[in-house]
Amino acid sequence: MDAVVETPRLDEERKRKEAYFTASQGQLIWARFKSNRSAMIAGWALIIMVLMGFFAPFLSPYDPTVAGRNKDYENGAPQIPFFWDHNGFSPRPFVYAVERERSIKTNFRWVTTINYEKRRYLHFFVDGWTYSLIDVRWDLPGTAFDVNFKALTFNKHLFGTDEGFVHLFGTDASGKDIFSRTLHAIWTSLAVGTLGVLISFVLALIIGGVAGYFGGWIDSVLQMITDAVRTVPAIPLFMAMAAFMPDEWSSEMRFFVISLILGLVGWPTLARRIRTHLLTERAQEYVLAAQLAGAPSGHIIRRHLLPSFTSYIIVDLMISFPYMVRSETALSFIGLGLKDPVNSLGALMQNVSKADVLLNYQWYFIPVIFFIALVLAFVFVGDGLRDAADPYSSVKK
Amino acid sequence: MAQFIQFTLSRAVMAIVTLLTVSLIVFSLMELVPGTCAERYLAFKNTQGSQITVADIEAEKKRLGLDRPFLVRWASWVENVFVRGQFGESCILRLNINQLLADKFWISLGICLAALLAAYLIAIPVGIVSASSKSPVTNNVLRFLSYLGLAMPNFLLALIIMLFSTVMFGDSLTGLFSKEYRDAAWSWAKFGDFLAHAWLPIFILGWSATAFALQTVRALMLDEIGKLYVTAATARGIFGRRLLWRYPARHALGPVINSLGFDLNRIFNELPVVALILTLTESGALLIESLARSNDQQLAGAIIFLLTASIVFLNFVTDIMLALMDPRVRRGLMG
Repeated sequence: MDAVVETPRLDEERKRKEAYFTASQGQLIWARFKSNRSAMIAGWALIIMVLMGFFAPFLSPYDPTVAGRNKDYENGAPQIPFFWDHNGFSPRPFVYAVERERSIKTNFRWVTTINYEKRRYLHFFVDGWTYSLIDVRWDLPGTAFDVNFKALTFNKHLFGTDEGFVHLFGTDASGKDIFSRTLHAIWTSLAVGTLGVLISFVLALIIGGVAGYFGGWIDSVLQMITDAVRTVPAIPLFMAMAAFMPDEWSSEMRFFVISLILGLVGWPTLARRIRTHLLTERAQEYVLAAQLAGAPSGHIIRRHLLPSFTSYIIVDLMISFPYMVRSETALSFIGLGLKDPVNSLGALMQNVSKADVLLNYQWYFIPVIFFIALVLAFVFVGDGLRDAADPYSSVKK
Repeated sequence: MAQFIQFTLSRAVMAIVTLLTVSLIVFSLMELVPGTCAERYLAFKNTQGSQITVADIEAEKKRLGLDRPFLVRWASWVENVFVRGQFGESCILRLNINQLLADKFWISLGICLAALLAAYLIAIPVGIVSASSKSPVTNNVLRFLSYLGLAMPNFLLALIIMLFSTVMFGDSLTGLFSKEYRDAAWSWAKFGDFLAHAWLPIFILGWSATAFALQTVRALMLDEIGKLYVTAATARGIFGRRLLWRYPARHALGPVINSLGFDLNRIFNELPVVALILTLTESGALLIESLARSNDQQLAGAIIFLLTASIVFLNFVTDIMLALMDPRVRRGLMG
């Protein structure tokens, strides 16, 4: 009886071992990553946030720009949807109506009061402002680079009210919906980070690749430059550059320049790592074989050397991402990066530094929570990937 | 000993070469921005009501030597900085940059170095203990805390502390000096007053630096602690604190010392944000002022160069320190 039970288990064991030994590098990394619970949770959080960023226009009930401002509810507190109150239960979530009054009683100032008797029901998939999920509008200097591309235009929104309004995270000083702004800001900050990472990645690949592959005096000169760039403190340098950006630049232009600056300062660490790896790798036999077969240098670097550590590059990019997002925020926070009409996390956080906000309008801090969550998610995923890509880390089957 | 001197000299030469490269980068960047120093000054004067002609701009350019080729100007800037230690005049304020920056730069540097020191005073013991601790709770808590140090923007921390102090003590904790000491000459009383104000920026700057340092120390210790020489030492009957500090820690701390310069770099990066929040009167805040309002490239170049120079200098010092501390290197150098 025992033997009958034992055989399938042994079989399973053998299969699992076989699968382990025949797995590709990608499968191994994925298997290790999956067993890391905090990294998996962070990964899901990250995916959700990216999706939230992409579908921001659909999820947000109001236009995040001035066009969508609610002039009857400036600096308004967050409205929390309820299912029941003293008037009974409702299957449809509702918020309370807000009324605004200005009379001799209120000393002729606008005073908003919440009417607990009047409900504003939330409706789902309502029609609202028109948006395009893919909306590329670049207004760069010169008309040749202008791109104006729209696709997937809709006007359906996840939720809204039939009358009155709903501001889940409250509104800011000009009445813009903070919930909508936050969702859009996530996307902008991610985009700046991605562009910055890409630029620094390409630079690192070229500079590190050339230095590592050729070695000798080319390596020494490139190393000197890399070291010098690495020592320059980035944020003060950004500030020096950003301050000279003319005020009349469009927000897209600013966006590009900031990504460019982030990328131009961010490459040295990765370049150094690529170089060190190539220096050891280029002495291997397979490189010699390729050289003897007459392959040109570019081909060897691209086809033979780089694939040997793609996983490390991916991990490195993932790890450098939160720093990019952080730099963007820091720069925007100082007021030298993206500015208020643009929705970036940094631009939103810039609003919280006023004493007025600290004491009276604490809901301005809600975007900060999203920023912390975003950075934490990136860090955990990056760490998980690093552990997973390291063949010497302890493997759990 | 001769070898040690040779080593020091070669490191010094390398540091100077790095500084020259940096100065070239900074100088070129300052050159790339739209507008020259002369135009800027005259534009400023124009806003003050005086009439400006093209001839004025040309004359001013000539006076400042801006008509010379780029490399010549760079060389003369380098000569002024490296040989005489003079950064020249600022574009708009027309004041000597050395006088303008001296106090502010030293205060900034002092605060940053104090933050760095504080970070490692906490991170080294905690990192070593956490690496050797088997308890998953301690490890996870420390890991989460150090991640939070990275993710929590330090201006938020500053705001929370300031809000707390405003509500609790009615003092917003801004500035670096009390009113009566602001323009006074340096004295012990002023220094004490400074210390009483400086703890907050030091704490805020040290916050994320500690998180980084903790991660580094912990990772390095974890690498070392599993190695055979540690097992061998345990087999010889050494354990506990003695084992940790005498064996793996000595190996693990080498790279830490080596990375001090880059940690200082990171702290400099945080400086402007914190300075803005606390509205300190030091280099960070001055940088914002001089850049955001009047975009003064002479001043900006000088500040960035000074910051970089202190990092390069720290790197040089740590290189020498490491050589003296590591017996393998020391024997190789001193015989």
